[in-house]
Amino acid sequence: MTAETTDTTESASGSPPVKSGGPGPRALARRRRRASVARFWREYRKHRAGVFGLAALVLFVLVALTAPLTVGSDVDSVTDAPGQPLESPSGRFPLGTDQFGRNLLGLLIWGSRVSLLVGLLAAVLSVLIGALIGITAGHFRGWYATVMMRITDWFLVMPTLVLAIVLATVLSRSLGTIVLAIGVTTWPTTARLVRAQTLAVESRPYIERAKALGGGHWHIMSRHVLPNVMPLILAQTTLIISSAILAEATLAFLGLGDPAVVSWGGLLQDAREAGSVSSGDWWYLVPPGIGIAVVALAFTLCGRAVEAVLNPRLGVSR
Amino acid sequence: MNRHDQHGSGRTSHRPWRTRLLAAAGAGALLLASGAVAPSVSAADGDGGDKVLTVAVAQSVDSLSPFLAVRLLSTSIHRLTYEYLTNYDAKDNHVIPGLATEWKSSPDKLTWTYTIRSDSKWSDGEQATAEDAAWTFNTMMTDPGAATANGSFVGNFAKVTAPSPTQLVIRLKKPQATMTALDVPIVPKHVWEKVDDFSKFNNDKDFPVVGNGPFVLTDYKPDSYVRLKANKDFWRGAPKFDELVFRYYKDQDAAVAALRKGEVSFVAGSPSLTPAQADSLKGEENIRVNDAPGRRFYALATNPGARAKDGTKFGDGDPSLLDQRVRNALFMAVDRKAIVDKVFQGHAVEGAGYIPPRFSSYFFEPSAGQELAYDPKKAAQLLDEAGYRTNGDGKRLGKDGKPLDYRILCHATDPNDKAVGKYLQEWWGELGISVTLNCLDNVTDPWLAGKYDLAFDGWSVNPDPDFVLSIHTCDALPATPKDTGATDNFICDKQYDELYARQLGEYDADKRAEIVKQMQSRLYDTGYMNVMAYPNAVEAYRTDQIESITTMPSDAGNIYGQDGYWSWWSAVPADSGDSSGSSSSTGTVIGIVAGVVVLVGLGVLFAVRRRASADDRE
Amino acid sequence: MSSATDSASASAGASANPSAADKRPAAGTRGRTRSAYPRYLAGKLAGAVVSLFAVLVTSFFLFRLIPGDPVKFMTGGRPVSAEQLAVYKEEFGLDLPLWEQFTDYCAKALSGDLGTSYQFHAPVVDKITEALPNTLLLTGTAFVLYTALGAFLGTRSAWRHGGLGDRLNTGLALTLYSIPSFWLGLLLIIVLSVGVDPIPGLFPTGGMESGREEGFAHMLDVAHHLVLPVVTLVAVEYGQTLLVTRSALLDEMGSDYLTTARAKGLRDDLVRRRHAVPNALLPTVTLVFVNLGRTVAGVILVETVFSWPGLGGLFYQALSVPDLPLVQGLFFVFAAAVILMNTLADLLYPMLDPRVGR
Repeated sequence: MTAETTDTTESASGSPPVKSGGPGPRALARRRRRASVARFWREYRKHRAGVFGLAALVLFVLVALTAPLTVGSDVDSVTDAPGQPLESPSGRFPLGTDQFGRNLLGLLIWGSRVSLLVGLLAAVLSVLIGALIGITAGHFRGWYATVMMRITDWFLVMPTLVLAIVLATVLSRSLGTIVLAIGVTTWPTTARLVRAQTLAVESRPYIERAKALGGGHWHIMSRHVLPNVMPLILAQTTLIISSAILAEATLAFLGLGDPAVVSWGGLLQDAREAGSVSSGDWWYLVPPGIGIAVVALAFTLCGRAVEAVLNPRLGVSR
Repeated sequence: MNRHDQHGSGRTSHRPWRTRLLAAAGAGALLLASGAVAPSVSAADGDGGDKVLTVAVAQSVDSLSPFLAVRLLSTSIHRLTYEYLTNYDAKDNHVIPGLATEWKSSPDKLTWTYTIRSDSKWSDGEQATAEDAAWTFNTMMTDPGAATANGSFVGNFAKVTAPSPTQLVIRLKKPQATMTALDVPIVPKHVWEKVDDFSKFNNDKDFPVVGNGPFVLTDYKPDSYVRLKANKDFWRGAPKFDELVFRYYKDQDAAVAALRKGEVSFVAGSPSLTPAQADSLKGEENIRVNDAPGRRFYALATNPGARAKDGTKFGDGDPSLLDQRVRNALFMAVDRKAIVDKVFQGHAVEGAGYIPPRFSSYFFEPSAGQELAYDPKKAAQLLDEAGYRTNGDGKRLGKDGKPLDYRILCHATDPNDKAVGKYLQEWWGELGISVTLNCLDNVTDPWLAGKYDLAFDGWSVNPDPDFVLSIHTCDALPATPKDTGATDNFICDKQYDELYARQLGEYDADKRAEIVKQMQSRLYDTGYMNVMAYPNAVEAYRTDQIESITTMPSDAGNIYGQDGYWSWWSAVPADSGDSSGSSSSTGTVIGIVAGVVVLVGLGVLFAVRRRASADDRE
Repeated sequence: MSSATDSASASAGASANPSAADKRPAAGTRGRTRSAYPRYLAGKLAGAVVSLFAVLVTSFFLFRLIPGDPVKFMTGGRPVSAEQLAVYKEEFGLDLPLWEQFTDYCAKALSGDLGTSYQFHAPVVDKITEALPNTLLLTGTAFVLYTALGAFLGTRSAWRHGGLGDRLNTGLALTLYSIPSFWLGLLLIIVLSVGVDPIPGLFPTGGMESGREEGFAHMLDVAHHLVLPVVTLVAVEYGQTLLVTRSALLDEMGSDYLTTARAKGLRDDLVRRRHAVPNALLPTVTLVFVNLGRTVAGVILVETVFSWPGLGGLFYQALSVPDLPLVQGLFFVFAAAVILMNTLADLLYPMLDPRVGR
């Protein structure tokens, strides 16, 4: 996979700064970046599904961010629960109540914060590890790369869910554990992709030039490789958030989440434990699942759109 | 297959074929599936008109060997397939004859002589004798592998002999009041003496398994089912159902749904049906919900400072909990009524003494002056008195000046723990104490290491309370921190221990019950074991498949997991047993229609493909 | 969660598939002589053996991290004398130092002995072989169906690329793909098993058999129990095959040789079917195998929801104890399944793609 969006412009920044009149090199670079962002957005807008996904995301993020104002933090209090246990939807409780008599709509909104946060953090962690290993393995080659790639391969064959369950069992039950369990098990794909891209970038002539001009490892990796793999990393992050949200729900559903925190997966687990499947209390079970599916879908759509913009040849989403 | 080959006409004709085969296989599978809707007749009618009672259980079998099995399902199966020396009356739990018809103790209280009945035969035709019983006990005493499950029963045995086929003599090291409550399945010596390694023999290869209970174990498939056939020659009389099947459902919801559809006749209340499930089943026709008083207590244990018998202290229980006033204050801030009403939604009884009210002779209730009733104000006052005052932020401070923060050990698999935990967080939060719920799949480890402040605790109580009382004696403490003791909560209280020793040597039932009550009173005051509730065992069955069934105690009691075989032995099949027929035949019709629709769809798809490939060939 | 990790490779398209990505460039450097295949084969097999060994090592050490003294579990809550504890420790080899336990474990594993389960008092290998056929039945059926469905729909989608059908197709696939499988399973149970008025429940609520029928009726019974879990698995898994097939085909359709073929006067759909599809199958095949290995582990959730007596359920039971030998054994089986399938894909690849290893 080759993303050719920024390399031609970036190659200039490897040459020694030119001190003359007009805008400085940094300002130039900034302008170039702004231009490429604008170009990116123009392309992105053409992907209807991607715009859809983005809109849905913005909506969910807004809901999550404003949750403290709209529902308030005491929505998960059991002693002050406003309703009777497991009330069906009504004007007062549009989605009914849970087994404590708490307002399910409120819990759903409140839970979106955790689900989004965990998804985001886990994806960031996963992509960070993946990018770090991918770039260094692509840059340094030799035995280091061999070892790193072997480790990556090894993680790739590990059954992810199994590994994540084990990690979540080993560590104490908290959000941090879930983030860690997901992050540590999902990075290999990213590492692979980033390494391939790094190899491609480093084979270009201007890297030779930068090296000849005395650019150290750090300089090459941070100034030349990183900007070039950045779009790929961005796309990966979006896609991994989607799977991380699913993974969070899965772990919470298996009872490995923090029981004191309200999340969508946790709500599903509560619903199941309360016996709402056989009692037909669909209002308890359906909304959190829809929430998970919609957010996961939205992130996937965005990720695909980003990918399609960066690499039109794949023609993934049109 | 490489690219060049694919140009050849010989190859192309293969591919459509393969697709066709695949489609045919898929269609076949669907046909099978929709056809299979047909056999879903009522669960009470098996093949050849046999009356089958199917019980949905949420537990899998750990082992079918009576020497290894500890899970409720497995021990219940052993109750049904092997006779024990004694049994408990279904009406009020008093001891009645089992394999032994009568028993007496010597004046020095150390020798017990049992008369073994001569009308009990093993299912292979051999006579069951005292020799079988003696062999069973002796094996447990000599082979550690055979002591795995029930070793504690023989710990105090000096010698077991069978002077004659009808006489069993047990010599004790010291007096033991529980000699009529030896819940040990007696196995046939002539079958079991061939076993070489008891720690690995699971008794699940040769069926039928030789036994002498009301049922004979005939088939077992791990994680699927256990099948038992009625023992027509059972000395107490043959069971009314011909077959008893325990079917395993990982998920209680699935079990409830299966009951609703008539796939099973009974859903076990272990774990208890949730309030939502019970409520939804109550309205249902032909289903009876048995909201039975449970045999469990549900308590909040406080860490009394874990220690071993050698005096070594270990663990990290909060030092403030060493103060009885703090323990009592914490319990006074627990609204037990709210727990029963909100968490159990009425399917429980408010907690009092240690032993549940269903064992009426041992049940203890605190007097008015003694009672630690719900009173958050008084609790706060008590904490103030004990020197744990609140700071400016309303946080209560420990003696070290840091805010109190208690860790509660909770079972991740028990929804009630998590629910009650949420309430405790808010109630104690009002007192200025923060609470961290430490929910784990496996609580045993921190528990045995004494690494907890409080813990959700609960035991199923047997008709003879000796065991649940023994786990709070100093003697139950581990010898050193590295050992495992029988202790439940590291309690070691002189007064309690003296009472315990007295009841164990007391062979008069009424006097013994009186001492047991005193023990509970002491336990209540110490605040180490705060019983919040006695959860009901909520179970349900189909009245169109089971006409009647004995509960234990018979007035208001449970059905699954009794201390005897009364329920399944006494269950009477309902005559009709087929009222679910109409709905299942509708199901069949719809299932077949669905199958046909899918088949037609596949056919169309397939026709399109074929036309396309016909074009292809030209 | 197989869906969790794979989403990246799925939507990133053909070249994002790790093994495929690596193999394409490799084709150039590896010699094209026919004799290269045995060497390629030997290399891949050796790699698999090394991986298997690595898994064995990890599974041993990883699970020592799980807190919990197994002996204490076995006797948990029951009064047990110190001597008896010692007997247990000895019986399960827990009294030995860690490295000795490890060498023991390796030696035994090589002879096919994975130890004795703490909770079932039975050899781990027995427990696994008991549950394995059930898992294979479930995953195998689902696998055949979702691969066929995914490949078929993916091909159609690519042919009519950009049209309404394609958009609906990919849209549906992506949506189902974003749905948590356990949730879908629960909904299916509510609607098709418990029944929602006026539809009565059509399928059993869980388990694999009702334990009453024999012979052909028993097969029907199992098939009846199989429907809902298979539908769940197919629904959440087919999207990935669809997307990869589609993008691989689109990729291929832009190639020069197709233009040449068209220029030769071959009809459009013939060009697609005879040239484009076979080549586009390559990444799909790789994915198919990787998926099969993963499905075995990913089935944990579906087995839990539907009370299916397979490896997934066993794993979950074992982990909560923790029944170390059983957890280790299952982990090994799960990982070995992936390794095995990857290797198989590697071995098949040269036969499908003349550019590699011939």
